[in-house]
Amino acid sequence: MTDPAIRLSGATIGYGDVAIVRDADLTVRRGEAVAVLGSNGSGKTTLSRGLLGLATVLGGTVEVLGAPVGRLRERGRVGYVPQRHTVSGAMPATVREVVGVGRLPRLGLFGRPGARDRAAVAEAVDAVGLADRLADPVAALSGGQQRRVLVARALAAEPELLVMDEPTAGVDAASQAALATVLARVAAAGTTLLVVTHETGPLAGVLTRAVVVDSGRLTYDGPLAGAGAAGPDCHHPDEAAQPPVRGYRLDQPRPAPDAVRLRDGSR
Amino acid sequence: MELLEYGFMQRALVASLMVGLVAPAVGVFLVQRRLSLLGDGLGHVALTGVGVGVLTSSAPVGTALVAAVLGAVLIELVRARGRTSGDVALAVLFYGGIAGGVVLLSLAPRGQATNLDAYLFGAITTTTAADVAVFAVISVVVLAVVGLLGRRLYAVSDDEEYARAVGLPVLPLNVVLAALVASTVVLSMRVVGLLLISALMILPSAVAQLVGRSFRSTLYLACGVGVVVSVAGTAGSYYTGTPSGGTIVLLAIALFLVVTAGVALRDATARRRHGRQVEVHAAHPHEHGEGCGHRPVPHGDHVDYDHDGHLHAPHRTGTGTHYDEHSEHAVVPPVGRDRP
Repeated sequence: MTDPAIRLSGATIGYGDVAIVRDADLTVRRGEAVAVLGSNGSGKTTLSRGLLGLATVLGGTVEVLGAPVGRLRERGRVGYVPQRHTVSGAMPATVREVVGVGRLPRLGLFGRPGARDRAAVAEAVDAVGLADRLADPVAALSGGQQRRVLVARALAAEPELLVMDEPTAGVDAASQAALATVLARVAAAGTTLLVVTHETGPLAGVLTRAVVVDSGRLTYDGPLAGAGAAGPDCHHPDEAAQPPVRGYRLDQPRPAPDAVRLRDGSR
Repeated sequence: MELLEYGFMQRALVASLMVGLVAPAVGVFLVQRRLSLLGDGLGHVALTGVGVGVLTSSAPVGTALVAAVLGAVLIELVRARGRTSGDVALAVLFYGGIAGGVVLLSLAPRGQATNLDAYLFGAITTTTAADVAVFAVISVVVLAVVGLLGRRLYAVSDDEEYARAVGLPVLPLNVVLAALVASTVVLSMRVVGLLLISALMILPSAVAQLVGRSFRSTLYLACGVGVVVSVAGTAGSYYTGTPSGGTIVLLAIALFLVVTAGVALRDATARRRHGRQVEVHAAHPHEHGEGCGHRPVPHGDHVDYDHDGHLHAPHRTGTGTHYDEHSEHAVVPPVGRDRP
């Protein structure tokens, strides 16, 4: 268990032969809770997809739980919450069925879920506060609840590393708070968290370290508190002095919500 | 019954029973994967296999099976490479398969029975005892694989990206599913014909998804619907003298329309009842919120408010906020489907 959870060294990640994230160095120790911050198109999602084998490693090394990515011997050690707002596929499915999928990687090729697996599914659903909805069709749940079902699916695998892509985007405040509680518990249990997000506000109590991605490069790596002020826009210090431009700009600054509040002086 | 006295009708009914059971069991995964037309593409490829079979005087069912499975594996590999979209790959299969079949069948020597219509539109009454045996083997194999790998096929069909991220063998599972589709295509070839092949995979699933709650119950329901329309359509075609394939498909579509209308009606009544509930509190302009004086009760993704001995669950409608009643003190029992 001494291997770091994530180790990137000179890693270049992209799709096909187009590099999106270039020359990234990052080591995440077991049990850390890391936010990956950056504006839209900065490459933060590509970085996380590279860790999951969904984007191609074009150069350098990307190791997850001590093994090169894509060659994980033990399946089910990595949990993933994709950037999707809803679960519902074309066919109806209950919460239990969707979350049950999370256990499959642990069952080998033909294994059937046993009592232990059913208990893990029930625990995961309980952890996200949907225990009373276990037998309900997912389509009957609200958007925020469906996101929590996806979190439960990842938790059901009892992962050592949990990668989440924008878990709080488009989720109401109550669901965000519920999610933060769940993640705090998961992190306390020793699971390594990597959360891709552009708003750290709701999860500020859980995430301790932040990595900022800007135009495919890691530009900040340090405590989360420093990343709000030293966010993606800190590289253009003169920008704040310029008169605000109306309408949409290609380089639209997207400061973290914290930074906005600090500037307003409302906190 | 009169129609059971004929051997050809007995075989036809047994064949339609197997097709009705197997086709939806595979079809639900295609619908889930939003790849409903894959069956059609493979049906066209199977025609090339039939052509090869007729030309080489071997059993067309066998060569069709080989051609369809090869086509299925090919299309999955093309999709996995990601160079050509699944859409274009399907189109190439469609045209190549049917063109190959037509050309090969036209090359068949004179005097050989090359009844193109029988393959395109189905000719269930020509099913031989040997065909029934082959169909039974295919049915058992397909159902066994679905039983064994169903959960994994569901996982891959539902969210391929997630399945890949957590390390499920996505490509092999997709190839297995495609091979299952190919086998089902060959199985249904005689009953509904290659042109209507997807109908028996997709329509029962479409009916079942309207009323199913879980994936498992939807799967069973689809198989049930498949068996009913398949057997009823075959029996009906005996009395009306119409082709079995078209009769089965029209029956399935009729069932789909009836169930759609029924579900729409049920939802409309549920909404009206829900609307009447609002009137309980029409004379009640108070909007709940933090510090409104009523005890907040967190409930799932929203907060209820304890109000005069019952819980108010605020939810937004087109006309503003209104309050559902829930809890055991509810004045009006809650409407199941509309619970926010």
